Order: sequence, then C-alpha cells, then structure tokens
Amino acid sequence: MDWRTGNLPLTGMRVVDWSVYWAGPYLGMMLHDLGAEVIKVESPSNFDPMRAVIDVNRYAGKNERPMTPQERANTNQHFNEWNRGKLSFVVELTDPRGRDLLLKLAEKSDIFIENRRPAAKEKLRIGYEDLTAVRPEIIYLSLSGFGQTRPERDAMALGAPVELASGLFTLNGYLDDMTPAKTGFSYGDPVAATAALGALLLAVRRQRKTGVGSFIDLSMRDALSFGAGAAFTDWSMNRSDPSHRGNRHPTFAPQGVYRCHDDDQWTAISVRSDEEWRALCGLVGREDWRADAGLSNVEARRERHDEIDAGIEAWTLQRNQREAEALLQEAGVPAGAALDFRQIWHDPQLNARGAWQEVEHPAFGVEVRSTSQWSRGPQAQPIDMPAPCFGEHNEHVLREILRLDQDEVRALVEAGVVTDQIRIAGE
Amino acid sequence: LSNELSDLRVIELSRTAAGAFAGRLCADAGAEVVLVEPKDGHPLRHEGPFLRDERNIETSAAHLHINAGKRSVTLDVERDAENLLALVGRADIFLTDIPARALDPIGLSRRALHERIPSLVITRVTPFGDTGPYRRYEATNITLLALGGQLRITGDPDKSPLSNWGAQAEYQGGLSAFAGTVANVLLRDATGEGQYLDLSILDVVATNLEHRSPALNLGLVANRAGLSVSATYGVYPCADGWVYITAFAPALWERLKAVVSLPELEEKRFSSQASRLEHNDELQAILTAWAATKSSEELHTLALEGYPFTVARTPEALLTSDQWRNRGVPQQVEHRAAGSVTVLARPWLDRERWQLRPAPALGEANEEVLDVVVEVAR
Repeated sequence: MDWRTGNLPLTGMRVVDWSVYWAGPYLGMMLHDLGAEVIKVESPSNFDPMRAVIDVNRYAGKNERPMTPQERANTNQHFNEWNRGKLSFVVELTDPRGRDLLLKLAEKSDIFIENRRPAAKEKLRIGYEDLTAVRPEIIYLSLSGFGQTRPERDAMALGAPVELASGLFTLNGYLDDMTPAKTGFSYGDPVAATAALGALLLAVRRQRKTGVGSFIDLSMRDALSFGAGAAFTDWSMNRSDPSHRGNRHPTFAPQGVYRCHDDDQWTAISVRSDEEWRALCGLVGREDWRADAGLSNVEARRERHDEIDAGIEAWTLQRNQREAEALLQEAGVPAGAALDFRQIWHDPQLNARGAWQEVEHPAFGVEVRSTSQWSRGPQAQPIDMPAPCFGEHNEHVLREILRLDQDEVRALVEAGVVTDQIRIAGE
Repeated sequence: LSNELSDLRVIELSRTAAGAFAGRLCADAGAEVVLVEPKDGHPLRHEGPFLRDERNIETSAAHLHINAGKRSVTLDVERDAENLLALVGRADIFLTDIPARALDPIGLSRRALHERIPSLVITRVTPFGDTGPYRRYEATNITLLALGGQLRITGDPDKSPLSNWGAQAEYQGGLSAFAGTVANVLLRDATGEGQYLDLSILDVVATNLEHRSPALNLGLVANRAGLSVSATYGVYPCADGWVYITAFAPALWERLKAVVSLPELEEKRFSSQASRLEHNDELQAILTAWAATKSSEELHTLALEGYPFTVARTPEALLTSDQWRNRGVPQQVEHRAAGSVTVLARPWLDRERWQLRPAPALGEANEEVLDVVVEVAR
C-alpha cells in the first residue's frame, strides 16, 4: 500500500456512510483512508448527534456568545476527528423524494454502512432488502451494540456501556479488589470499527471475485468479547471466572505501573525474562535482589511481587516518568510512561511517524487531526480534507454523482428535501 | 472461493497476541495459516489459564482461543531462517510481529523476502514500526497502553492507572493488522505485486483514543474517572451486579424518568441537561438508591425493552445467553488435550457460520508441511 502511487486498495469505490457517533463514522473514515469516496448522509433534524454534544466556544474562548446549532454542528471536535475526508450530504429521509435520492445514491455505490436502531431503519424502509432492490451486489454493514438478531437487537448500547455487556468489565479490576473496572473511554467503538473494516474488506474481495454482495451484522459487544476470548474458553474448561489481575501479567514478573516523582506521573514496567530482571536489579541498585536465588525465576518473583513492587517504586519515585522510562529502556527493560493527551501530541515517536497533522477547517480554524494509521512513517499519507460542514457537498452529490440538472436541484432545495441548515427541536 | 481467503496460505511468525489475533482472523476467513513456533511453544501456550489449573502448553486458554484454526510447525528461526524462507516461498502472506531489527540480520528483511517472492504480502505489526526514535525500545502490552495514552485514563482517580484485562493493545494492533493485510491482498489481486505493511501498535493505540481531539484542540484534558462520568452516564451497583445508565441526551432522560418513576426526578433542579450536571451528586444519590433495589435480570429485561440500561454480564452469562446461541458466537471444538472447549467465533455474521477448527498441537504439521517444503526446496 503506497499512497504516493495513488493506488490504494479501495480507489474507485464509493461508500454511503449513514452512521452516527463514533464506531460507524470511524469505520467510514478508515474506508476513506484506504482510498474510497465516502459520503456521509444525515438529515436536517436527524443528524449525527456527535455534532451537537459540545459548544466549542465555551472551551475555546473564541467569543462570549453561545454558538448557534449550525455553528456547533460544524465545529465539534469529536465529529471533526472521526469524519475527516468525507463528503456531507444532508437529505430529509422522511420525505419520499429524499428517500428516493438515498436509493439513487446507493445504486451508484459499493458499500453502505449504518449503525441505526432496527425500528428507525424499518420506519424509513432503509435496510439491506431495500438497497439490494436497486443495487443487488451492494455490501451492507450494520454495526450495533448486540447485533441484528433477537432477543437483544433492540437494546441500546454506546461504546462505553457496551463494555459491561461484553464480559471485559467483570474481568478488569485492581488486584485483590472485587470491584470491576471500565476502560477509560468508549473502548467498544474503535475495536468494533476496526473489526468491521476487516469484515468489509473481506466482503469486497468476495464481491470482486464472485460479483456477490454481502450483509454483515457486526456486534460491538461481540468484538470486545472476542478480544477477551481466553476468559470464555477458560470458563468452558474450568467453570471459573478469572480473578482480577490488576496491572500484573500471567507470565511476566514483575510488571506494574509505578508512581514517579511528579504529581500523578507513572511509568509502566514489564520484566519478561531473567535477563531483564538482572538488568532491572542493576539499574535500581538492588544487587541484593540480583544475588537472591529466591528471585532468580519468574515463579519466585511472582510470590514476592509486592515486595519487589515496593522496591521498584522507591526508585521510580525519585525520577520523573520519562526519565525512568529512558533509563529502563537503556538497560533493555520494557518501560513506558503513562502519557496524557498533550504528551502524546508531543511524543517524538508518534511525530516521527507522522501521526498528527494540522489542517485548516473552514468553520473551526486550525485543528490537530490524526492521519491514516496504515501509511505512517517518514512519508506519512497527508490529510487531504478536513471533516465536512453540514450539507457542504449537497450540490456535488446531486449534480456530479446523481446527475440532476440545475432546476431539479433548485426544486429539491426549495422544498427543503435537501438542505445545509440543521434543525434542532425546541431551539 | 468458498471463504474469502480460502485460496491463500499465511505464514505467521508471531510472538505476541498482536500477530496471533491477525492470524486467527485470517484462519477464520478460510486461509491456511501456518503458525511458526519456537521449540518450547508460542508464548500464548505458556500464558494460561490452563485446564484444571495444571500447566500444559496444549491447554492454555489464550492459545486455544487465539491460535484456533491454525497449523503448527516448530522451527528455530534464528538458526534456520532458510527453512522459514522455504515455507514462505509457498505462501501468499507473511505475517509477523517481530521487529525489523531482529528479522533483518537473519535474512528475513522485507527486501530479502520480496526478492525471493515478489508477490508476497508482508504484514509486520510491531510495537513501534520500522522508523522513529523508539524503534529500538522494548515493549509489552502494558507499556504500549501507557505510551499510547489509554492507560493513564483508565482506573480510579485516587489509585494508579489500570490496564484493562488481557492484551488489549495487542488486540487493537491485531485487528488493524488484519484489516491492513486484507487491504493489501486486494491490491495484490489487482496488480499481482507484493505489498508491505509497516504497522505500529503504538500508532494504533494512540489513534484509537477518544477525547484526544477535544484535548488538543480545546484544552479539554480528561483524566481517569473510575466508573462514572456523570450521574446520567456511568456505572451503578445494582442489587446483584452492575448497570450502566445512559441518559445524557434529552430523549434518553425521558425514558429513564419513565421507568424510574420517582417524583423527585420531575423537580426543577433536574429539568435540563445543564441543571442535571449542576445537581449531579444529588441525582447520583437518587439513582444509586434506585438501582440498589433492582436485580441484573430486571434491568436486563428493561434494557431489551429499550430502556437506557446496560447490565454487566460475566463470561458464563454470555456463553449461556439466547443472543449468543442465536448468533453462533460460542463454538464447541474438540481438542485432543483440552477436550470439548468453547472458542468464540469472529465477531460478525455474514453468511453461514462454518465450523472452527481447534488450536493445533505443538509441531503437529512438522511432517506434513515443514518436511515436504524443505524437501522440495532442496
């Protein structure tokens, strides 16, 4: 894959992205990164709620007055992060003319992705059967919390809560503490989005080889459970749920997250082998540990893990997190500072890989965005386009893709079937 | 083409869950995946948990799950790179999670591989990728979660950052490596040319991070918040478990009020999103008392009716659930050493599920695959 040749895996393919929040939009963006043209479809009053969740002005200190809904829709920093590179088409799908436009667009597309609730799809009559009627070989992916099957298909789930339903939540937790723990963000979303990308690319290969389309039913919960699959196999063998591991590892010892000198600074350390153990002993000045035959193998170290943790922390507490990390790495011991968002942005490795790029967004101004994760390195793939403003590409979609003439476009706009104005009930 | 990749052979040289998860998904798509293991077995074989808690490299649950559907050959890569090359010579995809600095000196560099097999699809999913100042850093799952920003925001604010269970950085890397591999297969199908993917797990972890954009562009820097973001978006203990309440949006709040049906919730202090945040602690106290009276089963039933609850489920509850039975998620496989065990199917449904094969015994394909290939190569 080399973006410089312009030959990406999905070049020439068109995607209709009728998804909201994070997982679906992130999937759509990754399809764009792999070369597809992605058209984000929203409706004037049924838009991606991510557009409305925060008022940027309250935080950016740009001016005193609250933003209008329209301004909010075009500046949201969650939305703009996960929708870059897409075209925005805003069409009233409850209007038969609007639905007809969506079907016409599907007819000219290869992939359709959505994460709407079953009742909403049925009401609008936008489902796999509706689309195959006009485009039999389309690849249609439904991304949802629990899947399109009964009995759980109507339960709602966002990427954070779904972790509870996946089993992962009950497995997470501090050592010797019965309280479960949740990953500190909507972990279900990126995991499901990336799993869905793999599923879609497989379906593209099938479509190219056989001409047959697919209906893919991807469950966000199942994607999280799959990543913790060993716990399920364990239960089937032993009828026991594993106890909380905290930051420890089944075969590496010691392993932990150790407090460093400055406030709320931490470094994660893993010792995978006896060799790394001896290097650690030398570094932290514990020749007694190195000489101690009772610590020379991993089983023994696991027995005395608490004692070792205290000794390591006595050393890390005298250093800041990056200093501890660098010294450990120099000694050949795996270590990493627990970085915050700003530190990640400044991180030399991520910057050398071209992970971040500033882009100019017409409504927000200069924004830091992440680049395609498949084309990183000295010549990372540059970002071609920021996230679209609401309805920014209506005209392009109607004229260039659907081939309507100027009068037809004008009639649709005048009737409010296609618009670039957001409508929020009660505002 | 019975399955998406059933015309392809994969050589997987993995030492962590990152390469192993990518290989597992290739196997699920019908590819023949040959796992190249060290003589003492893949690290996942040593990880457990084991059948009856008895150490046995054939019954480690991590291995049974992540290596399901693969073949196994044993080979000392450092001393026997020539035989590995012979194996790769008959393959379409070479998948590894070993960094370039270890593979280049033994004749397994990208260049050497492509010189030998120009049409090879090479995927290297490594902690930091081929370039950048950390390319000589050592890493494990937890140090990658740390450097990628996911560790710091997980756990209780008054305790240390907490790693989530398993090998989640490697799982994220594995999912991206799988997608990137299939993407490169599509390119090879079109052009006949070999492809190379240099994927960094750190890149994936840092990219998959929510709240990064508001932090960098608005200065909204979040730290770990434990179980609760706010009264209307967080975890509550219920009578016999845990439930997530999702009611931050107006329509969801109305649904919540309808089912909780307490007069306090109609009071002015809770009448808007802003006022609910202002009176967050009071609202949290009311909902905590309410949730404590409800069982997981009751709340789960309400969730199925569309109320904004998500109930904590254990592996046991999921494995015995109607939803998973109807989706064919738990697959029973007959394993020679472990007996009849459950392995989870890949997390999406398209056509018919097909029967998963169990994880291989160590070196079970040495004769059938390795010896034949080596003989032919000579």
